[in-house]
Amino acid sequence: MKHEKTKHEFRANTLPALVTVGPVTIIMVLLIAVPLIYVAVMSFCSIDEFYNVTFDFTLENYVRLANVDYLKIYAQSIVIALVTTVICILVGYPFSYIIARTKSKKKKILYMLVIIPFWTNSLIRIYGWRTFLGSSGWLNSLLAGIGIAKEPIEFLYKQGTTILGMVYCLIPFMILPLYTAIEKLDSSLLEASSDLGARPVSTFLEVILPLTSSGIFSGSLMVFIPCLGYFFVSDILGGGNSDVIGNLIERQFQSGNNWPLGAALSIILIVVTLILVKIYQKLGGDMDSLGV
Amino acid sequence: MKKKILSLIMVGAMACSMFVGCGSSGSAGKNGEINVFVWTEYVSESAIKAFEEESGIKVNVSTYSSNEDLLAKLKSESEGTYDVILPSDYAVEYLVAQDKLEALDKDKLTNLSNIDEAYLNESYDPGNVYTVPYEGGVACIAVNTAKVDKEITSYADLFDPSLEGQLVVLDDYRAVIGMTERSMGLSMNETDSDTLASVEEKLLTLKNNVKLYDSDSPKSALISGDCSVGMIWSAEVALAMDENPDIEIVYPTEGAYVFLDNWAIPKGAKNYDGAMEFINYMLSAEAAQMNISDFPYLCPNTAALEMMGDEYVNNEAKNVPSDVISSGEFVSYLDTDTLAIYDEMWTKLKK
Repeated sequence: MKHEKTKHEFRANTLPALVTVGPVTIIMVLLIAVPLIYVAVMSFCSIDEFYNVTFDFTLENYVRLANVDYLKIYAQSIVIALVTTVICILVGYPFSYIIARTKSKKKKILYMLVIIPFWTNSLIRIYGWRTFLGSSGWLNSLLAGIGIAKEPIEFLYKQGTTILGMVYCLIPFMILPLYTAIEKLDSSLLEASSDLGARPVSTFLEVILPLTSSGIFSGSLMVFIPCLGYFFVSDILGGGNSDVIGNLIERQFQSGNNWPLGAALSIILIVVTLILVKIYQKLGGDMDSLGV
Repeated sequence: MKKKILSLIMVGAMACSMFVGCGSSGSAGKNGEINVFVWTEYVSESAIKAFEEESGIKVNVSTYSSNEDLLAKLKSESEGTYDVILPSDYAVEYLVAQDKLEALDKDKLTNLSNIDEAYLNESYDPGNVYTVPYEGGVACIAVNTAKVDKEITSYADLFDPSLEGQLVVLDDYRAVIGMTERSMGLSMNETDSDTLASVEEKLLTLKNNVKLYDSDSPKSALISGDCSVGMIWSAEVALAMDENPDIEIVYPTEGAYVFLDNWAIPKGAKNYDGAMEFINYMLSAEAAQMNISDFPYLCPNTAALEMMGDEYVNNEAKNVPSDVISSGEFVSYLDTDTLAIYDEMWTKLKK
């Protein structure tokens, strides 16, 4: 009798749960947890004389990461990411505001303008920028044509070009959460604010900005973090003169042939990401709005 | 609704990307099939087609873009995945040291006589027990003479302060550090840490001169005029010279960084005989001719060169003079501690 009951319970409770949540859990474990554990374990491994990974526990990989030169590249990478994030906020905020406040069909068009570039691979678009900005590129031909520049201006292969590329690639990730946040804004609050005698500037600073700060936070997070890893942008537009953490990782898996060191670098990147997400949560950020 | 549209787009994009890299495997040829793993943009498709027609063996080609890629795949895939590979000099050294290559059956290599003896019996494989050379190249210097007044003849000249912000160099630390070592009269494979400290000092003086680090297509920056001097592969210079007649090739007086890529058969290959037949065909004059027509790297195949005509043979960038190779040096495998020093130097240069 008791046996019957547990069988019934299994059918009623456990089985549906297994069927619905089971596949997702398996996918999450296989595709996210296992690789992460693999990377974490590898970061404590050594390499033998043939650069094969051996399972001898060592902390040497992490000791090497504390090297001053690596620290300078982390710092450079963080500066690039910070500047990119700030520019994305400054450009993205007004744009999102306009989309959110536009009524009529134009709204869809504006929204699609943000989405459509996604249809082309970002690598190709970044190469496009390189052609556009080169010494004999379109921009220089145009400037020479209208007589502004006699000699071609050197736009490429500078830190600023890397930042331009990062902003270009990542700004949709700022605009979309900002748009969601601004659209949620109750317009009666704005009316109340102006009824109570607030000027537009103080309405913006004291009503709109605080109410949309969640969008700014989640947008910043989604711009800042990939910025640390987008090595192809700094390779193609920065000409290798403004390496980010992603470049260091890529090199250890390629020519450096030191996978454990690359794994340790990846762990550092993951830790930085986790810290930032924690700060975001502490500041009252909503984890749902990270999922655009 | 918007979310739905967005997710539909995402799903579409992902579905498309799933097909990327899926070649047609199809059925085997009437005389079996071989799996060939080679550098990208290096072996002519028409040569492979011609082999398939002649031999009745189907060739499945997959490609890699660095020796490290190749070595990693050999490590991670099961034995017998590939029948033919094309590793460079130092990768051969590494594979031989680990006993990962099958010895070649010389009796079947009837076309080996096409290969110039200057390229046989190299230090990484004495007696050519495991490998035969395919094509190679040199990390040489390209100069846009319309933009640069200074006469450049050596690696050492690249450090001249007058070249500030004008250089494109390979994004490859063994090449750039090796070039620095050669410019100081040292070997590219120095291991002494005191010597390397002085190499580092010299290397860092290059920083101001380098505008671009690029291994994928360094010729484009020279052709577009973004850079006026380059330390790049000879075949890239050859292609740049075709586009812009002001560009000249310079083989450094110190002796250059040279490489040779070699046909080899990995241990456990499933179709050894087919692989031997393929390698022998690639050594034939007609196959080599198709290969260098598409990819003008250094060609050790004298029979093919004779058929290419004077224009090709007299082009110094395409047909690299053999004394450049004999005075040059191969990169060799360094111990892990030394490679860590090289890596740190490179990090300092790029910070």
